Amino acid sequence: MEEMRLLAEWKYEPKKLYRGYSKEFLSVDLGREDGAFSCDVLPVSEDMIEKFTGGRGFGLKILWDKVTPRSKWDDPENALVISGGPICGITQYPGTGKTYTVFLSPLTGQTYNSNAGGYFGPFMKASGFDALSVSGKASENVVLFIDGDEGVVRLFAWEPEDRNSYTVTEALHDHFAENEEDKRNISVISSGEAAEHSWWGALNFSFYDPRRGLPRLKQAGRGGGGTVLRDKKILALVVKKRNFSGTENNPADLSVLQKVGTKLHREIRQNDDVQCLMRKIGTAHLNLVMNDYDILPVNNFKFGRHEDIMEIDPVRYGFTQGYADGCWYGCSLACAKAVDGFELLTGPCRGQKVTVDGPEYETAASLGPNVGIFDPLWTIEANFYADHYALDTISLGTGLAFVCECFELGLITEEHTNGLELNFGAKDDLLELIHRMMDGRDDFANVVSQGIRRMKTLFADKYGADREIMERIGMEGQGLEVSQYRCQESMAQWGGYFLTLKGPQHDEAWLIFMDMVNKQLPTFEDKAEALFYFPNFRLWFSLVGVCKLPWNDVEPSDNRIRYKGIEAAKVPEHVQNYLEIYEGVTGKPLSREEMILQSERVYNYERIFNLRMGKGTRQYHNIPDRALGPVFPDEWEARSEYFDGKLKEAGHDPEGLPVEEKISLLQAHRRREWEKLVDAVYERRGWTPEGIPTIETVKRLGIDYPEVLDVLERRG
Amino acid sequence: MILVNGKEIPWRKGMTIQTLLDECGYTFRMIAVWIDGTPYRNDQFEKVCIEDGADVQVLHMISGG
Amino acid sequence: MKFLKYRLDRCTMCGSCMAACSKAWAKKDDPALSRISVNNVTGLPDIKVCNQCGGCIAVCSSMALERDKNGVVQIRRDRCTSCLICVEFCPSASMFFSSDIPSPFKCVACGICVKACPQDVLSIVEEKEA
Repeated sequence: MEEMRLLAEWKYEPKKLYRGYSKEFLSVDLGREDGAFSCDVLPVSEDMIEKFTGGRGFGLKILWDKVTPRSKWDDPENALVISGGPICGITQYPGTGKTYTVFLSPLTGQTYNSNAGGYFGPFMKASGFDALSVSGKASENVVLFIDGDEGVVRLFAWEPEDRNSYTVTEALHDHFAENEEDKRNISVISSGEAAEHSWWGALNFSFYDPRRGLPRLKQAGRGGGGTVLRDKKILALVVKKRNFSGTENNPADLSVLQKVGTKLHREIRQNDDVQCLMRKIGTAHLNLVMNDYDILPVNNFKFGRHEDIMEIDPVRYGFTQGYADGCWYGCSLACAKAVDGFELLTGPCRGQKVTVDGPEYETAASLGPNVGIFDPLWTIEANFYADHYALDTISLGTGLAFVCECFELGLITEEHTNGLELNFGAKDDLLELIHRMMDGRDDFANVVSQGIRRMKTLFADKYGADREIMERIGMEGQGLEVSQYRCQESMAQWGGYFLTLKGPQHDEAWLIFMDMVNKQLPTFEDKAEALFYFPNFRLWFSLVGVCKLPWNDVEPSDNRIRYKGIEAAKVPEHVQNYLEIYEGVTGKPLSREEMILQSERVYNYERIFNLRMGKGTRQYHNIPDRALGPVFPDEWEARSEYFDGKLKEAGHDPEGLPVEEKISLLQAHRRREWEKLVDAVYERRGWTPEGIPTIETVKRLGIDYPEVLDVLERRG
Repeated sequence: MILVNGKEIPWRKGMTIQTLLDECGYTFRMIAVWIDGTPYRNDQFEKVCIEDGADVQVLHMISGG
Repeated sequence: MKFLKYRLDRCTMCGSCMAACSKAWAKKDDPALSRISVNNVTGLPDIKVCNQCGGCIAVCSSMALERDKNGVVQIRRDRCTSCLICVEFCPSASMFFSSDIPSPFKCVACGICVKACPQDVLSIVEEKEA
C-alpha cells in the first residue's frame, strides 16, 4: 500500500457512554487548504438532547452552527455531521446500527440527511462521541482516523493510485488492523472516484464480514454526501474500537432490551418466510410485487409493469444463503444480502471475482426496469461499479432513465453522447456511460452525473434540447431524483415524495397501497393526516439511530386482524417496542405522542433550515408531470381503459377525444388536485400556505430559538 | 355484487377470499381481509366463501417503502 | 461429538441439576442462571439443554460460536456482542440469557449436573462423527 504520512495528531479522553449518550461531539476542521487543521471535543448540552434527541437532530443543529445562509455545498464551512442517536449501537434489537449524515447537498442546495448501516456509528459512539463533524478542505488527500481505545485522532496524507471504494476500504481495514481478528474492530466511510466529478457521490460505510473475510459496504447514497467528502479531499473517515461487547451504551435497563429484542427475533424467525423474505432475499423481494400493482418503474417511470418481469424474479440474483447478513450486530432481519463469486465482465476490475453488496430493491429497479433492462447479471455488475465508484444507485438509475428517454425522443443524439446509443435497454452503452462517470474525462458523462436538474439546463443550453419536454419527464423534485416507485396513481404518495424536506425519496412516507389500493385515504384531510403522521413517525428512526425495516417489514402475526384500518399499518406493537427500548436505554419514559413531538421539532427545524438557505417554500415543492400521470400517448394506451375511467371520474367524457387531449385534461385536473393536497398538508403541519412553519408552531414545539425566529421574520 | 375496497365486483357462488384476491391481482403477502367487519387470517383465505352483497376490505400493509 | 443426554421418564423435577450447574458456572444457586432448564409442564418434566446441533453457529454474525475439539459448541466471549439472536434461533430453545450476564450461556457438556442428579436422568454421551 502507498505510504501514509502523519499530518496531525490529537489526544482525547474517551468518555464512557451513559444511557446512550456521551454528551460530547468531535469537531474536526481541515482548514482552508492551508494545513490549519483543528480538532475539538465539544459538549452536547441538555437542551440539545431535549430538543434534538440525537442522530439527524444533532446533525442539523451542528450544521446550522457551522454554515451561513450564503454557504454552498463546496464551501469549506459545509460540514459532514455524522451521528447515531441514543439507541444506535445497542445490539439487542434488530436494526440498531443506523447512522445519519447531514450536510449541504450539491444536488438540492439545502440540507440533506442520508443514513446507512455498517459499524461506523456504533463504534464512533463507543469511542466517546455522540456526533462527528468534519468541515474545511484539505489541500491533499487525507484519511481521518479515530482510535477509540487509545483516545487519539490522527490525520494522514495518503495518495493511493486507486481511490475507489472497495479498494480504499479494504486497504484501510488491512492497514489499521493488527491481524485478521482485528479487522472487525474497524469501520471505514469512503467514497470513490466518480464522487470527484459527480453530484451523485455516495458515502460507503463498511462493516467487516468475518465469514467472507472482507469488508462489506452499506450506502448513505443519496444527496451527494460522497461528493462533499471528496470535495474536502477526504478519502476516508476511519474509526477503530476493540472488543465491542454490546453494552457500551450503558443502558438504563438492559433486561428491557433483551426482553423486547428476543421477542422480535422470535417474530422474525417465525414470520419472515411468509411475510417479506428479508432473510432470504432482502428488499429485492419487491420486484414482483411492484410489477403486479403497476408500481414498478419501467422506462423512466412510463410504465408500471413489463412482460419480462420473471427475468428479474429475485431468486435469479443468486443471493448467497446461509450467512448472517446483518449490517449491524443483532439484526436478525439480515437483509444485507450479497452475491458472492461474481465475475465482472467489464471495467477496470474485469475478470475479477467479487462479492457484490446487493442488489437491494431500489437498485434492482433503478439499474434494471427503469432503464429498460431485465437482466440480473447486468444489474449486479452495474451495482458493483456504482458502489465502487461511489454513485448513488437510485439517482444514477433515475438519471440514466431520463437520459434514455431524451435519447429516444431525439433531444440528445450520439453526437452529444460521444458515440453512445442510449436507448432503453442498451446494456453495453449504459454500462460504458457508468464507467465514463468514474474518471471525469468524458464531458457528456460529467453532465449526466450532475443530476437531472442540471441535465435539463445543460441539455437545453449546450445541445438545444426542448426544455419543456424535459421538465415534464425529468423525475426530480428539489433537485433530487425520485426513488423507485411510481406514484402517479396515488395522490397521497405525490405528497409522500414531493412534499418532503429533502426531495423525493420515500423515507418520509410510502402510502401507495393505503391510498391507491386500500382506499383508506379518501379525503384531502385523510391524506394530510397520513402525510403528517408517517413522516414524523419515520423521522424518529433518524433521531435515535434505528432502521425502518424491522418496523413493518415483519409484523406480529395477528397485527392485521387485531388492529383495524390505518392503525394496523402503524404496527402498534412495534411502536410500543420502540418506546420501551428508548426508555430502556435513556431511562426516560416516552409516550406515542411525545415520540411524534420529538420528530416534529426536528422536522420543522429542518424545514426552517432550508428556508434559511433560500429554499423551503411552496415554490420549491415542485412535481413533474410524469409523477402525476401519463405524458405521452403510449403511456395512456398501455392502460387506456383505466385512464379513461380516471378522466370520467374527473368529470370529462373521454369518448371520441384524441389521446393527447385526454392527457392534457387529466394532467390539468391532477395539477389542481395537487394544489389542494399541498394546501391541506401545509395546514396539518402547522405551516402557512407558503409552506413555512408558523410562529405558533415553533413556539408549541419549543424550537423558538432567536436564530429560528430571525429566519422566520426575514423570510416568513 | 360485492364491494371490494369500495368498488363493485360481480359475485359468483363459491367465491372464496383467495379466488377474489387472484381475480383482483392482489398477490402481496402482507394482506388483511375484513368481510363485513370481521377479519380473516391468511390460512382461511382458501376456505372462506364470500356471501353476495358482502363489504370486503382487502388491506395491504406497508412494507419495503 | 459430546453432549448431554436425558431420560424424561426418570426425572422428578427436583432441580438438583440446575442448582449444581448455576453454582458451578455462575457462582450462584439460581435456576435462571443454569445451562439446563427443567420445567414442570402439565405435571410432566420438560428439559431444555443443548444437544450441540450447531444451529446457532451460522446465525451469529460475529462468529462467536464455534465447536471445540470435542464437538461441543462454545461461546467465545471475546467475540460475543450480546445480541441474543442465537437465543431465539436455537432449534432446541436451550441458549439462555440473563441481564446479569449480557452474553448468552449454554450447556458445554461438562457433566457436573450428571453427578448431581439423584435419579440418574442425565448422562454425557459421545457420538462418533460419521
